[in-house]
Amino acid sequence: MIRFENVDKWYGPMQALAGVSGEVRRGEVKVLVGPSGCGKSTLIRTVTRLEAIQGGRVLVDGVDVGARGVNINRLRQRVGFVFQAYNLFPHLSAIGNITLGLTKLRKMGKAEARERALAELARVGLAAKAEEMPGKLSGGQRQRVAIARSLAMDPEVMLFDEPTSALDPEMVGEVLAAIKQLATNGMTMICVTHEMGFAREVADEVWFMERGAVVERGRPADLINSSAHPRLQRFLRTFA
Amino acid sequence: MGYIFDLRGVLSGQYFDWFMIGLAVTIALTCAAWCLAMTMGIILTLIRMIPFRPFEWFVALYVEYHRNVPLLVQIFVWYFGVPSLLPRPARQWINGHHGEFLLATIALGLAAAAYVAEDIRSGIRSIPKAQNEAARSIGLGYLGAMGYVVLPQAIRIAVPPLINQTLLLFKNTSLAMAIGVGELTYRTREVESYTFKTFEAFAVATAIYLAISFGIMACGAYAGRRLKLENA
Amino acid sequence: MLEILQNNWLLFLVGQYPHGPIGGLTMTLFMALTALALCFPFAICLALARLSPYRWLRLSATAIVHTVRGLPLIMFIFWTYFFSPLIIGRAVGGVETLIIALVVYEAAYLSEIIRAGIQGLPKGQFEAASALGLGYWTTTWKIVLPQALHNMLPSMVSQFVSTIKETSLGYVISAHEMTFAASQVNNVLLTQPFEVYAILALTYFVLCFALTSLARYIERRISAGRVAVATPAVAVAV
Repeated sequence: MIRFENVDKWYGPMQALAGVSGEVRRGEVKVLVGPSGCGKSTLIRTVTRLEAIQGGRVLVDGVDVGARGVNINRLRQRVGFVFQAYNLFPHLSAIGNITLGLTKLRKMGKAEARERALAELARVGLAAKAEEMPGKLSGGQRQRVAIARSLAMDPEVMLFDEPTSALDPEMVGEVLAAIKQLATNGMTMICVTHEMGFAREVADEVWFMERGAVVERGRPADLINSSAHPRLQRFLRTFA
Repeated sequence: MGYIFDLRGVLSGQYFDWFMIGLAVTIALTCAAWCLAMTMGIILTLIRMIPFRPFEWFVALYVEYHRNVPLLVQIFVWYFGVPSLLPRPARQWINGHHGEFLLATIALGLAAAAYVAEDIRSGIRSIPKAQNEAARSIGLGYLGAMGYVVLPQAIRIAVPPLINQTLLLFKNTSLAMAIGVGELTYRTREVESYTFKTFEAFAVATAIYLAISFGIMACGAYAGRRLKLENA
Repeated sequence: MLEILQNNWLLFLVGQYPHGPIGGLTMTLFMALTALALCFPFAICLALARLSPYRWLRLSATAIVHTVRGLPLIMFIFWTYFFSPLIIGRAVGGVETLIIALVVYEAAYLSEIIRAGIQGLPKGQFEAASALGLGYWTTTWKIVLPQALHNMLPSMVSQFVSTIKETSLGYVISAHEMTFAASQVNNVLLTQPFEVYAILALTYFVLCFALTSLARYIERRISAGRVAVATPAVAVAV
């Protein structure tokens, strides 16, 4: 579904991504972990070309994301992206945030879009807050609306960039629950997170990144318990 | 000093009419110049968005000229200078069709447009890049992201400064008196020179200016409150 | 256009001196500097008054500032023109009138800049000062104002630019500044108004643009070297 082939990226003299390779097959859930600045957010952003790359390729469903003539807008409809800072549109209500894409891109009629949007909000448990403005919602609620906004476009893949890092601890649970449900229902996902418990429950594979490269990968249980992965152990110890 | 403050002399009969005509001209000038300023300001903003260097320089030069040259001098350039460059028939047409009012409108409108363009630009720049990213991430193109997400928010932010520009424009109409436009200040001086009641005449004009200015300021404050969005 | 400049540059620069009062660019700069320097104490007083805990002081200062902001400068100039001779007791020349009017006008606008500068300081400054037991005046004079004024330096330079532009209104009361000088040149030449006023516009442009660039440079230097304090953009009339 998504393939990284030797991806390189520089910010000026600093190398943000160094020869990253890997594959995410349909239905798989990969979790990216690592210290700040290791490039995990950068990597996930290259999938929808929010970041450009200088070397290698990123392929989504066989299509090279950076190739000429690629309809990047169409691609972005197929790949959902949830940001750390939610990035809801503050001038639109919760349901408005969702119907925007449905009416303007999927060309749905207003009534149909509303119905669909309400269904998505219900799925994340926020049907009652449909008409609220984002400014009135709590962090956890905003993130769930952001997730619903992405899901409404019927994506084949969902990307999460530290979805709970900006939340107060009490609200982390509700967002993780929503994401977990997606995983259970078979959504292909890449999730950048610090929540190791979440990784353990949901991930098929965990990639540990450091200084722009994937230095260790494996099944969650293996990585966390096994002593064959010293750098990850050190990271988990200092982090936990 | 034995000076008796008597508003009646100034507010009676024809003098009252003069004040009203002056006020009408001031308002007409403000509105005409405002329309020109908004139109030109939007055009400048659009030109600026085109990723072509010379266009950016043009807008930058336009803005810097209108911000660094005194407005009175700009009015003189338009009123004394430009007609001398035009062919005779054009000059005669201008003279026959309220030339002073026309040229004052152009000068005031184009000058205000520079500030309008800057206010809109500030509004757009103040929208976090992340909003554009989020809009693009659901698949909206450049125009869609601009039109449905960035601009609606930018305009809300730009409204209070734009109302402030309207206030400035209103006050700047008084400069048109220097080229003979019969707006409020000009008429006030006329009343003053006919009645010799300087204090009363200027008091009336001051009251009128303040009333309208405070009205505009109040609109600005109200708009600022109503349009405030909490961050999401 | 170059000939006009060649023949009349002295008039633009110093007015009719020595055959008359000093005018032109020299007088423009003199009036702007004098007005800004003189209005400073008033501006500081107004700013402090607007932030004062005493209601009557705060309200009067706010009323003064709003009134000045609500009137066109030209009305101020006329008020001063007609009434300063009555108050001072003798005839007042164009230049003096303009300076007085500008002092009042600028004091109001400058006070807003200073007020923004004071309010932009971190609350910690005031808390630290009161924790040390410093009184209001010591705090204001030694701690608040030095920092506020330093932070607001770019805005104050911008205000100086505005003042220079505002001196052009001296034309209306025949004060001998640069715009008046240009109109004198035009009245003599008559056939080349565009060139004359273009020279005038260009001179103001070069002067003001240089100062505005200076303001931007100062702003960059300040932002680089300090904890960020918001400098509000000051859009001024004229």
